[in-house]
Parts: sequence; C-alpha cells; structure tokens
Amino acid sequence: MSLRTGRRAALLFLGLGLGLRAAAGAVPPERTVLASGIPLVFQRDAASAVTVVALVAPGGRAAVPRGQDGLATLTTRLSLEIPDEEKVRDLMAQATRTSFVCAEDFSAVVVECLSENLEAALKVTGRIVTSPLLSGLRVARAKELLSLYAREEADDPASAAHAAVLAGFFGGVGVGSALYGTEESLKAVDRKDVQAFYRSRFVRSSVFFVAVSDLDPGTVRGLLEKSFSGFPAAAPAALAAAAPEPPADRDIRLNRDTERAFIGRAFPLPAPSVRDHALGALLETAIGRGPGSRLWRLRAEERLAYTVDSRLTWTRGGGVLEVFLETSADKAGRAEEALDGVLERLRTDGLPAGELEAAKAMAAAGHLRAVEGKAARVRLLAGFEVLGLGFGHVAGLEGALDAVSGEAVDAYIKSVLAPERAIRIVVGPAGPAERK
Amino acid sequence: MTRFSRWILAAGLFPAFLALPAPPLAGALDPGRYVVLENGLRVFLYEKRDLPLVHVVTGFDLGSKNETGETNGFVHLLEHAILFRGSGDRAGLRRHGAYFNGSTGQDLAVFEISLPSAHAGFALRSQKDILFGFDLDPRELEAEKEVVLEELGEMEDDPDRAAADRVLREIFAGHPYGRSVYGDRGVIAAATAEGLLAFHRRFFTADNAAMAVVGDFETGEMERLVREVFGDLPRAGHAAAALPMAVPLGKDSVVRLEKDVTEGTLYLAFPAPDYNHPDGYAMRVLVEALGRGINPLLSARLRSERDTVQRVSMSYLEFRYGGAAVVAVKAVPSDLAAVERTALSVLKRAGSENYSKKDFLDPVAEMAAFDFLESAKNQIRFSSGQAEESGLQLAGSFVRHMLLNTREKPGRYLDEIGRIGSGDLRRTAARYFGRADHVVVTVAPRRGGPK
Repeated sequence: MSLRTGRRAALLFLGLGLGLRAAAGAVPPERTVLASGIPLVFQRDAASAVTVVALVAPGGRAAVPRGQDGLATLTTRLSLEIPDEEKVRDLMAQATRTSFVCAEDFSAVVVECLSENLEAALKVTGRIVTSPLLSGLRVARAKELLSLYAREEADDPASAAHAAVLAGFFGGVGVGSALYGTEESLKAVDRKDVQAFYRSRFVRSSVFFVAVSDLDPGTVRGLLEKSFSGFPAAAPAALAAAAPEPPADRDIRLNRDTERAFIGRAFPLPAPSVRDHALGALLETAIGRGPGSRLWRLRAEERLAYTVDSRLTWTRGGGVLEVFLETSADKAGRAEEALDGVLERLRTDGLPAGELEAAKAMAAAGHLRAVEGKAARVRLLAGFEVLGLGFGHVAGLEGALDAVSGEAVDAYIKSVLAPERAIRIVVGPAGPAERK
Repeated sequence: MTRFSRWILAAGLFPAFLALPAPPLAGALDPGRYVVLENGLRVFLYEKRDLPLVHVVTGFDLGSKNETGETNGFVHLLEHAILFRGSGDRAGLRRHGAYFNGSTGQDLAVFEISLPSAHAGFALRSQKDILFGFDLDPRELEAEKEVVLEELGEMEDDPDRAAADRVLREIFAGHPYGRSVYGDRGVIAAATAEGLLAFHRRFFTADNAAMAVVGDFETGEMERLVREVFGDLPRAGHAAAALPMAVPLGKDSVVRLEKDVTEGTLYLAFPAPDYNHPDGYAMRVLVEALGRGINPLLSARLRSERDTVQRVSMSYLEFRYGGAAVVAVKAVPSDLAAVERTALSVLKRAGSENYSKKDFLDPVAEMAAFDFLESAKNQIRFSSGQAEESGLQLAGSFVRHMLLNTREKPGRYLDEIGRIGSGDLRRTAARYFGRADHVVVTVAPRRGGPK
C-alpha cells in the first residue's frame, strides 16, 4: 500500500470508525451452576461490547393445556411487564432491550444490552421476572396484543401455513396449539391460569440461563446470582414430548384472495438425537436451501416460482420438515405436481455422493453464520439444551454432519419423505371447487 | 435463515430493515487496510477472526438511479442474471459451502459471498468470474425474466413490501429514485440479452466498483491474494454520471391500497438528508428517538392515543442524491385514518419537543422527564456493537461507504453522533418533518370482501 493510499484510507474510514477491537475470538461455552442451583451456560465472546442473557423456562407451547392456546406466550409476555415506569425509563435510556421468546419447547426472557449496563439491566429484569405483576388488567391488555400478532401471522402465507402444519401434526394441542391463541382460547384463559402456568414453569429447579458476553464469566455469574435469587424451589415441571403424527385429513387449504399461491408439503421427523438432528439439517439443505438445491430447479428451470425454500422445526418429540414454493395462482396446479415430483425422485433415487458432500458443506457453513451473532447463538444454545442435544451441539454439529454416510441419509430420506405421512397445504385463491 | 431469496436494498428488504437495529456503519482503521488497485478497484480488508469464515462483498455504483423509463428494471434483472444465469463455477459454490446473494438498490448493486475461510481464494476467484466475466444466453434470460416477474407478484401481494415500494416511488417522484427498484413489468418482459450485456459492459468495471473482505485471514496475505486475482482487470476509464439532488414534492401525496389482509398498514415518508449531508447524523439520532429502539417517542404517543396500534417503526434511508425518513405502522384497519392523523401530528410537532433532560428548566420536570436523546445515542452504540458481530453486515457497510461517501473528513461516526444535541434534533425535525410534502400510503382490507 502506498503512502498515498494509506493516508486516504485514514481519511475514508475515519468517518465511520466505530473503534472496533481486534476480535479476540470466542471461547467455547461452559456450563456452571449458580449458588441458587440454577445452571448457567456461558460463552465469552469479545466480538462486541454487547451482552445477551436469556432466562430459559422449559415448557413453551408443548406445555399448554388443551383449549388454552396462547397461554405460554401470554405468560412469558407478562413475566416481562415492568410495572415501575422509572425503571422502564432507565432501561430505555441505556438502550437495554428486553424481549421474550415462546418456542415449541421453551419460553425465554431475553436481555440484550451494552455490557457496561448489564448490572442495571439484570437488577430490573431480575426483580420483575422473579415476581411479575399478573393482574387482570395486564392479562386483558396482553390478550389484545396477542390477537394483533395472530392477525399478522394470518396475513403472511408462510407463517399461516407453518401454524396450520403444526396444528395438523400435533392435533391442535401443545406444540400444535395456536401460538397467539384463538378467540375462544383467549376468552377462556384468565389470570389464575396465567399465574398457575408461571408458577409451574418459572421455578428454580426448571429454569436455566444462557449468556454470551465480552465480560468475564465471574462477573456475569455474580450479577445473575445477585439479581435472580427469588425463584421458588418447587418441584421441576414435567416436560411433554409428543411425536408429530399425520392427521386423518392431510389436505389443508387456507383460502386467500391473492394473486399468488403458497404450496407446501410437510413431513414428520423422528425425535432429535445428535445423528437425527444432523440428518434433518442435511435433508433440509439438500431439498430447499439455495441455488443447487432440489427445489431450485423449480425456480431456475421450471420457472414456477421466485421463493422456493425448506424449513425445519424441532421439538423434543420429533421434527417437522416443510418444503414450499410461492407461485402465480395460474401455475398452482403445475407447481403442485412439480413439487411432488421433486420429492418423489429424491425419495426413490436418494442423494448422490456429490450432492451429500455439498449439503454437508452448506449446512456446516450456514450453521457458522447462524451463530455469528450473539442473540442468535443464545437462542441456539438454549434450544439445543432443551432438545436434549446439549449446548455442545453448537460446536459439535459440524462433526455430526460429517459423520453421516450416504447409506444413512438415503435410508432416512426414504423413511421420512413417505407421501402417506405428508401434509399437503395450499394458501391462496380458492380453486374452482371451493369457489362454487 | 428462513428463506433464500435475493434482497433488495430499501424496497425489497423494507420490513426487514425496519427491524434492523444498525445505522449505516463501516469499520475501523485498525486492523483494516484500504488499498486501490491500479485498475481503480477500491478494496478494504478487515480481519474478524472469531469464526473460520470469510465474507466478500463487491458493490458497483449502479442502481435504479442509472435507469431510464426504457430501462427500468435492467439493474434488477441483470443482478438476477449474474447471480443465477451467468458464468462461473456454480456447482463449486455449493461444494464450498458458499452463501452468495445480491441486492439492487437505488444507488448500488451489491453482491456477496460468504464461506469457510479455508476457501477464501475460491471466493475471490468466484466473485471475479461471476461479476466481471459475465455472459448471457438469451434462453437463460427468458427463464430468469419469469422468476423476476414472480418476484414482482410476491411483492405486490405483500402489504409491507408493496407499501414500501410505493412510498419511495412517491417521495422521489420526478427523480430517478422515483422508479421502482423492482422494475417495470413491460421493460423486464422486453429486455434482451444484448441490452443487458451492454449495460453490464458499461457499469461492471473495476473502477466503478468497491470490494470489502472481512473474516478470518491475515491482512498481508489477503492483499496479495486480492491483487493476484483482481489485478489483471483492465481500467475502463468509467466516468460516473452525476445526477441532480432529489427535490421535495412541494405537496402531500396520499395513496390508498386494498388487499386481502386482516391488518392495516400505514407508511409515511418525509424528505430527509442525503448520505453526505451534514444533517445526516442528527437525522439518525432523531429517527432513533422517534421511531426505533425501545418505546420511542412516536410509538409512545401513538399507543397512548390509539390502542389499536400494534407496531411502529421508523427508518432513515440515506441515498447519494437524497434521503427519506419512513414510518411504518401496523394497526387495526378501521382505525388507520385516525392513526395516520395522530402520527402526522406527532411528527409535525417534533420540532418543538424536549428530547433531553437538560431541556427542562424546572428541576422537578427535569427529574421526571425521559431523556430521548441519551436513549437514542445509546441505541446507536448498541446497534453498532451488534453490527460488529456480523461479517457480511460489516463488509456490506464498508462497500456502501466506499461508494457513497464524498466527504474528505467526515469525522468518526460515533463521535459525530455523540456531539448531537437536543437543539440539533429540533432543528432537523422542523426542517424535514414540519413541511407539507410528505407521502402517505395505506394498505387496508379489500372493501366488500374478496374481489
């Protein structure tokens, strides 16, 4: 580099210099137990001066009783409700973000903040989450919010299809319940239900923490011990693990007055052992992830779609693989045939060695990118713990992918892509029969 | 990652970028290195060694701004053709675990590749082959046109993407930015391979491009590799055409759309400073205070007056020749009109708000007040921290800055943000939101049910 370009570089990047430090690299995550008995999975990562902490309560949608759809989301949302306006303002001023996740098998309260503000952030959230104000008024307000979220979900074809598929495979209960509830279920759920759900899930013997931070582990551990000592020591809540089963009616149609149709097929997968989790990831990648995937030819050669994709959802009892495309309504019939053809060919012929190796490379690199950000990594660490794969699977997935043989993946494909176990879903304009 | 789909700066990614926390940013003096190759290619190398990945982003000073009515959609179509129909080792991309993608915006066409760092050499050679060695079979173009038209259909069905596209077309009406980055259906259908190749030859030159490489490598070795791979590209003598600055409409514009949706969508847009304008820093802080982060002012006011509001977000789009501040609201459809009035009223009054505790003379009021200014600045610091975690995001920001920045000494980003005061926010709000040339786009459920 010449002196001239060097000086220009200084001027150019002076403008946006953020004072980035040389990344010291992340050290592997470790599991320790706090003085309160609550486990902590911690990873130190100097990539940014940001800390992400999740308080994870296993259960999630899987723990929702029949007819009380939305209860897990409602409860987790309310456990974050900060009654003291002054405290809210303090967090806001420090740019501390609190959010919640209600996943298939767990709920989580997530705190993201500048690391310099971690103590203040945990002090406020610890007090709230360990003793939330679950009043009737707050429950009513949270229900209204859930109704709005449900409407947003219904407007997005891929989200609506996903919800319908899970409802189908899990019989509308637990993981198959409506994430944001239904009109009837939200009417049925009251404050006592919310309190009971909170008391059964947010107990010392069930919850655990996941944190990724540039701070040293001792500091983070100390702050968590100080701020979250208030959880009661009740017996651990039981965890459900229902396996997805094909419903009696495997054809789902959601009519929408749109120009386009969403066409999907969904398959139940076995429970996620380390090996099966890797197999699922390979199948998802080989079918629908990016150019060169099996679905890609429906876009590139058949010109049927812009969006072609696959999506994998894991629960403790099993997984669900969705493959789909979005096409013009007038191409819907042809697209359905083409999609079924792609799946049938894959099931019949299996995955050639070159394609398997490419899927391994794609899945491993995609996983690395998925854990680049601290918030996404925290969610994966938590999810793997709850699924029973252990947090170490974040680092171990690449090895598990590598260990999959051609025979194993072909046998897996043959077994899971069985058309008689598939749900067929279409979201879009009504066909001629429905119009009548 | 939920979907593989190409992303379009501003319009295509609108719902996503509304959710993105990061303001435009780019990296650091150390350990980055900036070099300009003999052929004019600008390169920034930045080590990020926490994961064994390397990310290469190459941008061209080419966007919908460079199109005319007769070529509206060429850049978008060209980007598709380059990514999916052109030359280069396509099978190798997948074999090496590469994620590759592209985007078309008002100002720039950007291409990115990310893969394990062991294959860094492949990433560079692949970018060179795909971007600079492009050729196009007319049959392949015909196939890709259908895909692009499918994409347009998806956009038109999606209330957010449709509203975002429309609001930008309206706010920049009369300027090249006023063309949709997705393109015109008729132009796309009629495009020929020769036409696209001529466009490519004109704009895809080393001296019209900038490249950032971020990831797990040693800078000296990466510079050697970059020179080896890209050094033999010719200098084309490309002269970028200067465009006029976007001029505000001078009047309000309202567009009402109807679709088969259950939620109401409202987009508001106001003229805003361009990428190099001195008001840019204040606008970033102002938008953060009003419409981003946790419970910002606009959201708080809207929710306090209209309990039908579900989501509020605000973005500041900085282009080379203009800018826009855009508000997006989700609300119960029957209340959209009232939400629109309330939002406009809050924004029109933003020039007289107290943003900082120091604005209050009364110590009691000062104690009770919320410091929106401090909160906004911290949000920007937080977002910058988060952005440091993503190699692709960093590389994209470097490229964007190399291609859009015209300031000799722009100052350090966070230092400039730190200098913004409450008075700056009021002046900026009055200048940009207190005027009668905003755009409103609403998307409501179709009256009388499905058509």
